This record gives sequence, structure tokens and C-alpha cells, in this order.
Amino acid sequence: MPELRKDPLTRRWVIIATERANRPLDFSASQPAPQPAADCPFCEGREGDTRKEIYAVRAKAGSAANSGGWQVRVIPSLNPVLRVEGNLNRRAEGMYDVMDGVGAHEMIIECPHHENNLAELSIEQIAAVLTTATTRMEDLSKDQRFRYVLWFKNHGSIAGAGRIAHARSQLIATPITPKLVKEELIGARRYYEEKDRCLLCDLIRQEQEGGSRIVLESREMIALSPFAARFPFEVWILPKVHSCDFQKASPAVLVDMAGVLKGVLLRLKSVLDNPSYNIVLHTAPFRHQRERLGHWKTLEDDFHWHLELIPRLARVAGFEWGSGFYINPTPPEQTANYLRNANV
Amino acid sequence: MSELRRDPITGRWTIIDMQEGLAPEPQVEAQSPGVGPQHCPFCPGHENLTPPEIYAQRQAGSAPNTGGWDVRVVPNKFPALQIEGTLSRRGFGVLDQCTGIGAHEVIIETPNHTRQTEDFTVDELLKVLEAYKARSLDLRNDSRLKYSLIFKNVGTAAGATLEHAHSQLIALPIVPKRVQEELNGAERYYDFRERCVFCDMLYQELQQDERIVCENHSFVAYCPFVSRFPFETWILPKTHNVDFDATPTENLRDLSRLLKEVLERLRAALNKPSYNFMIHTAPIDSRQRDTYHWHIELIPALTRIAGFEWGTGFYINPTPPEQAADILRRAAID
Repeated sequence: MPELRKDPLTRRWVIIATERANRPLDFSASQPAPQPAADCPFCEGREGDTRKEIYAVRAKAGSAANSGGWQVRVIPSLNPVLRVEGNLNRRAEGMYDVMDGVGAHEMIIECPHHENNLAELSIEQIAAVLTTATTRMEDLSKDQRFRYVLWFKNHGSIAGAGRIAHARSQLIATPITPKLVKEELIGARRYYEEKDRCLLCDLIRQEQEGGSRIVLESREMIALSPFAARFPFEVWILPKVHSCDFQKASPAVLVDMAGVLKGVLLRLKSVLDNPSYNIVLHTAPFRHQRERLGHWKTLEDDFHWHLELIPRLARVAGFEWGSGFYINPTPPEQTANYLRNANV
Repeated sequence: MSELRRDPITGRWTIIDMQEGLAPEPQVEAQSPGVGPQHCPFCPGHENLTPPEIYAQRQAGSAPNTGGWDVRVVPNKFPALQIEGTLSRRGFGVLDQCTGIGAHEVIIETPNHTRQTEDFTVDELLKVLEAYKARSLDLRNDSRLKYSLIFKNVGTAAGATLEHAHSQLIALPIVPKRVQEELNGAERYYDFRERCVFCDMLYQELQQDERIVCENHSFVAYCPFVSRFPFETWILPKTHNVDFDATPTENLRDLSRLLKEVLERLRAALNKPSYNFMIHTAPIDSRQRDTYHWHIELIPALTRIAGFEWGTGFYINPTPPEQAADILRRAAID
């Protein structure tokens, strides 16, 4: 069973794998060769090569579970970092706090055919992926043990994708609200206490007036390179209408968002020559035990969900690890300018 | 020229390089670490390839910016922050920024191009630590600065671009977030128990003896119970100490011995890994005398940070620290 351990200093939780622990030789510097397309376990027709599906959007009416005919398919992760069975078993070890590594780890296979980049899928297909994420998040939110679910994507080996070159994203449900999300929640609440307005709504208005950091805008969404971007070509995508829960987004918003996401990914691909990238979604934590978990009454008014997209161009080194400060060699105004003018 | 910008949601600061015309480079998995000795700006005889030195330990009679040095400190040629100028803080709307004032120095640890830090004698490594201390003490005199971070990147996976042994110092006009989090956490713990959290951790680690890598008279190296990374190792002074740069020379000698041993053990166990280390010490003019405890955090660059970690600040460590410490203890070193 993996273990969750809490740092008494910073209150940061870490997942420690205690079973299949990596020995020194497992950390090979060389990249493993990508798996040949013919052996891809995520392609349609290879459903028997994965564990049984948790959910699928089936394009062909009447097609059976774990057979072909699906549009998007969700399976348990091949290498789960948390286990879905069991209780948290919170305990102390001297001055340290520990609990069992309970959580859910699911893989969303984003298309039935062998394609590696989400950017190359149709808007309709990307919308189906986003809808699948909302459906799974809604379902996981019913589990009383979980407080948060992160939807994220690793594309390319530098961004941490494995050997299988087939478009996919992941969901990890955790029994705690992660540190970065908590920091955003606290920052948003502090602003709301002072102004009675949502910080990100204010930010969107300010960015629209200036315009220099906007990459593209649609009816429902805005894509911009944030003022204090940590990384070159970092882009955030936000809904223009205030909402704290991604999983409550309407079908119209999701289709619109799919178009913007595809547009941004294609622009990044064109400007940066097909970069590795990570996408992470920041949304409000589950509120099924609102009172007990100490969430505040204004959370729905003060937090604003958004997507963060990070191309992996710069290496994080000692200064960043030691300080939490980032050094960004590309001003976000330039990032936005390059992306606006990209050929797509 | 650079600019400091604050993320309005989390309060995280970023240093943005405002130079015009930096084209997007489809970067960068540089395979070869930099240049050979004939073009290396850190090798003796090439003193003119760096900005004029700030500090050096020299053989008697040698002139500044010529050969004859053992350790040399120079301004970084491509500094993240500029030392000249006034600190001005501005805001527009919800956004805050500040001029990119600070110091960015390179500590060239040896005149020898190929010798790595773990190959140094205890005396040679002591000279490097003395240079850290001297620079850090000197920067205390600049009232614009709030924090000096000393760190080292080794190997391409850890962000190094030159192989000649060196470390860096960046002095900042703001106490960095990671350090502030530790300061806050230490204060919270002290409020509750009236003890230093680091002293308590050391006591428990020495009692349990499951995660200790090695120790000597004044320092302990161990893999923290909540290691974020496989083989993460911390070095702490055994007695309560707030400021790295207040460490007396005889203790720095103990540190030199222990740091060398830890680096040798990592090299033996992990086959010359890339790594980072950084010194976390109290801010300049900190009033937290009882709560904070300076230490070195050492992180081998073995795993890739992916979306989950970026999105959550939540780390997944595939090697339990108990196992890492055991492997490091057993590593065969001379």
C-alpha cells in the first residue's frame, strides 16, 4: 500500500510508494524507445490488453463494454499511484503524520485510432474528452473519502509521458486538497474578502482591456499568457462567465472550450516545433462535507476554475527548487504575440 | 533587464527576462555539458572571459583577475537580476511588479576543469564553503536585499550548462516562497511546542535511526521522512543554528567532510547522478532566532516532474526514504 506522509514543516503531503519501490538501477537516464503502433494497447480492437473499462462514450449504439465502437474510454491506470480500496487509516509516527495511499487513478483514452497529440483530434472529439472528464469527476465526487480530483495530461517524454504514443489524460482523486490548489483557494478568498469580487473575473477584465497577453478569445473562453508566467509559453484558459466547478460546465461551454484548447495547442505546436507539454485543471475541491472540511461559504463566488498549459522548454534547477521563484526567459507579452501570429 | 512579477492568486514571484527579441527556441535537451577546457570561462588563464572577480582565495602575491587562485567568485555573465538600480515596486490593477534588483554570482570552486566537488580534499571543499560564507556575509550590507540563496546544479538533467565545478548565489529583494513556507511552518510548530521543529526532527531521526545516511561531530545527513524525490538528502547542524554564515570554521570543516561523504555515496549508489543542492538559511535580518534552523537540501535529478506534480504541488516519490538511506549507507566508497 502506498503511503501519504505529511511534512511537519510545510504541511506538504507526499505519496511514497512502499511496494514496488524503485532501486537505483531503475532510474536510467536514457529514454525508453516508444512502443510500436502495432502493439498499442489503447487502440480500438485491443480492449482485452487493458484492465476493464470504468466508463466509455460509445459511438456505436449497442456496442458492448470492453469491445470496439467507443469514442472515449476510461480505464484504471496501468501504474496506479494510489489504491482505490481501503480506508485512510490516519495515524501518527512520532511527530510525523501518515495515512494510507487511498485514492483513484484513472486513464482517459482520448481517441480510438492511433494518434498521439490531442491537438490533432477534431473539436467534437476533444469535446467528448472534456465531457468524459466532467462525468468521471462528478462520479468520483460522490466518494466521501476524496476531497479533490486533478485532471491532467502529460504529452511527450520530457513532460513525463510513458512509452505508449496514444493520446490520453489522467485523473487522480486524492483524500486531501493539494497544496497548490489550496494556495489558489486561499489567495482567491483573501481577494474576495477585500473586494467582494472574484479575482480571476477582475483579472480577465483587466487583460481584455490591455490585450497584450491574450492569445485568443471565443464566446465562452479566453486564453492568455499570465502576467507572472512561471514558464516560457505558459498559457491559461479560463471561462469568461464565473464558475468554480469545471464539472458543472454546460455542453455548450465544453464544445467552445474544445475549440480554444485545440487552437492553443496547434499554435504551440507551430511556434515551438511540437513541444512536450503538461495540462492541469484547477477546479474547486469537493464540498460534500462542507461544514466539517472547513470550506468557506464564499468559495462558489470567489474561486474560478481554469486550465494551465505548460510547454516543457526550460529545466527547473536548484534556484527554482530552493526558492519557489521561477525565472522565465520569455515575457508573457512576447509569448502571446508569437502565439497570436502563429500560422495555423 | 529583468522584472519581478507577482502571481495575483498565489503570491508566487517570477523573474521575467524583459530582453527584446528572444525568439522561441524549440529547446532543449542539451546532451553535451558545455565546453572543453580550452574554451571554458572558469579555467585559469581565462579570467578575462568572466566579469571582474568579486572575491577570490589566492596564492600570495597573485593579482586579481589573473591565475593563482583556488576559489574565485565572479558576477554571472547572464544575470537573472541586476545589482545596479533602485528597487521600485508598482502595481496596476490586480497585478504587482518590482524592478529586477539583486545579485547573481558564480562561485568557481576549483581551477581544475575536470575535478568534481566530491573529488575535492576536505580542505579544498572547506575553501568553497568559506567563500559561500564570505559572500553571504558581505551581501548582508546591501539594505535592498532580503535573502541570499546559495545553490548548485550538477549535470544537464539538473539544469547545469557548464561542467567545470561551480555553484551560484542569487540574492533577492524578497524572501522566496519556499523559504517563507518553512519559516511559517517552523513558527507555527514553535508556537505550539516552544521547540524548534528541526531539532525535534533530528532527535527523532537519531533515535529511530532508519533514515540516517551518515553523521559526524557537528552535522547529520539523512533522508527526510517526507522526501519529495528519490534519494533526497538533507544535511543539518546538530545544534540549533539559524544562519549558515554564522558557522565557525571548525564546524565548516565538519560540514566539508560530511558533504563530501554524501556526494561520494550518491555517486557510488546512483552512478554519477545529476543533482541540485541548496542552502536554506534564515533571511537577512530575520527575527526568528529560536524557530528556524539552517540546512542543506540535496536532490538527485532522477525522475521527471509531470502534470500531477505541477498541478498539485503534491509529489510522488517511488523510493521510500528508509530504502534510500539504506542504499546510501551501504554504498561502497573509499
